[in-house]
Amino acid sequence: MLSDNSEEGGTAVKTYWILLGSFGSGKSELALNLALEKVREGPCTLVDLDVINPYFRTSERGDVLEPAGVELIMPPFALEKIEIMALSAKVYTVFAPGEGNVIFDIGGDDVGSIALGQYKPRFDQIPKDHIQVLFIVNPLRPTAADLESALSTLYKIQYVSRLDITGIVNNANLAGETDVSHLMEGYELVKALSRETGIPVWGTCGTPEVLRSFEEYAKAHDLDPAYIGKYQPIEIMMHRSWDKFLKEGL
Amino acid sequence: MAKKLMKGCEAIAEAAIQAGCRFFFGYPITPQNDIPEYMSRRMPQVGGCFLQAESELAAINMVYGAGGAGARAMTSSSSPGISLKQEGISTCAAAEVPCVIVNMMRGGPGLGNIQASQGDYFQACKGGGHGDYRCVVYAPSSIQETCDLMPRAFDTADKYRTPVIILADGLIGQMMEPVELKMNPNPTMPEKPWACQGWDPKGDRPRAVINSLYIETEILDDLMTRLNARYDEIRKNEIMVEKYKTEGAEFVLCAYGTVARVCKAAVRILEEKGVKCGLVRPITLWPFPSKDVHDVIAQESVQGALTVEISNGQMVEDIRLAVNGEKPVEFMGKGGSIIPTAEEIADRVMEIMRRA
Repeated sequence: MLSDNSEEGGTAVKTYWILLGSFGSGKSELALNLALEKVREGPCTLVDLDVINPYFRTSERGDVLEPAGVELIMPPFALEKIEIMALSAKVYTVFAPGEGNVIFDIGGDDVGSIALGQYKPRFDQIPKDHIQVLFIVNPLRPTAADLESALSTLYKIQYVSRLDITGIVNNANLAGETDVSHLMEGYELVKALSRETGIPVWGTCGTPEVLRSFEEYAKAHDLDPAYIGKYQPIEIMMHRSWDKFLKEGL
Repeated sequence: MAKKLMKGCEAIAEAAIQAGCRFFFGYPITPQNDIPEYMSRRMPQVGGCFLQAESELAAINMVYGAGGAGARAMTSSSSPGISLKQEGISTCAAAEVPCVIVNMMRGGPGLGNIQASQGDYFQACKGGGHGDYRCVVYAPSSIQETCDLMPRAFDTADKYRTPVIILADGLIGQMMEPVELKMNPNPTMPEKPWACQGWDPKGDRPRAVINSLYIETEILDDLMTRLNARYDEIRKNEIMVEKYKTEGAEFVLCAYGTVARVCKAAVRILEEKGVKCGLVRPITLWPFPSKDVHDVIAQESVQGALTVEISNGQMVEDIRLAVNGEKPVEFMGKGGSIIPTAEEIADRVMEIMRRA
């Protein structure tokens, strides 16, 4: 319990970022980028809580995270290239009082969000201004292409994770082929989602170049900043060049 | 349809539906679980049937039933699961039941691992199940190509009344790439007068029988003669191959599937180093493009060739048969699902050329 920890002297509360969304929406990419950004401000822990996919996990990028000072908590066997979707007991340590940021990268869809349910008593004790539950949207994925399917996923994830989503993220992308038109598509979708649910738009993600073009476009076309939120630059770390290959395996 | 970001397994499943597949039977195994998962969601939306069978063998036998009734039917699995299906694939070949089988290859033998592999070339191209039969085998190297091949796979299966295998390495199933799917809400199906769709005793149509048991030697021989004639037709009409910068090349790389993409990058690295290297990529592994492979490698300008696979060397045997000793053919590859990088392949080519 948190009260036990407070007897040990700590009272500071960390800031928690929980990244949710459909499968393939880009949660891991945002998690890595957020972690590398937040670690510049102070201690930062990234929790790989993906119980869905044995491939393309944030854990695989320990080579980037650990030298930068990000603590990585991953399921046992996560890098063993086998499928034992066990959660690390170490996850509980992130709820101890302290400074800094904790980022949770969750598996896709409502089935992935199941992993969060058991931590509800812990999340309940975190002050509301210290927790951001972000719903990541990529309309270029066929499973999240329209308002109806995005809404359905959002409600299902909210129900299963037992957390209230606090922000929507426009992460429209077509991997290396992303351009401004895709972010525009994302803008329309997050705007509709936000209006329907009353949940604010937290931000818009993209590689620096695409994001810059989108910013210019948004200004020229008077897009509502409320549905753009923060411009969050992304450096691609998960998506690989299949044409040159890699050392990490699948 | 505009481009979408899709995982290979999802894209294959959707492409099959667009090709008119309305019956999918499968059993879970990594790394192809996303195919049955997708099918379970999509099939009811298009009035199709998804069924998770109790085993791989049951799934292929259900394909036999649906295919025998004239439907476009498909199953998918990964290496160990494909081994379990072999009896049914042999039965489909003998009973002339068209069907499509997707193998998202993982490491083997045995249970192997869950990483990408190309260890099932022999199994797919040289028999697999018992008996004297062939399957048409397509080896796509990108998600887009896999999608483009799906309608062709179903058409080929129907045209020649044969099982068709999509032999993809696990990378194809698990990677995500932008893909453009050709949507086809009302795919036209060929007439199948041979299919078991109920018999009218008062009608003109003879009774349709789907069977793989032929006790009389002459009758079995009739079947084999018919099948062999068909295989000759397939060899004549269905070969697909890609040749990349092979004209006047000094050296030739040979690869299929995703490894061929890595080889293409190696070709470009070698180009920067002043080496004129080309790539020959069989898209159909059976029928094997022997003549194309021969004609590329036997060119006067070519010093030698290197076959690259995620295996300990399987396709290299067909490459060597095609080249028939006219040029040296070396092999690069490992078991254990270890994929060479473009730089490693380019280094090996440089080393071979120095030796020569």
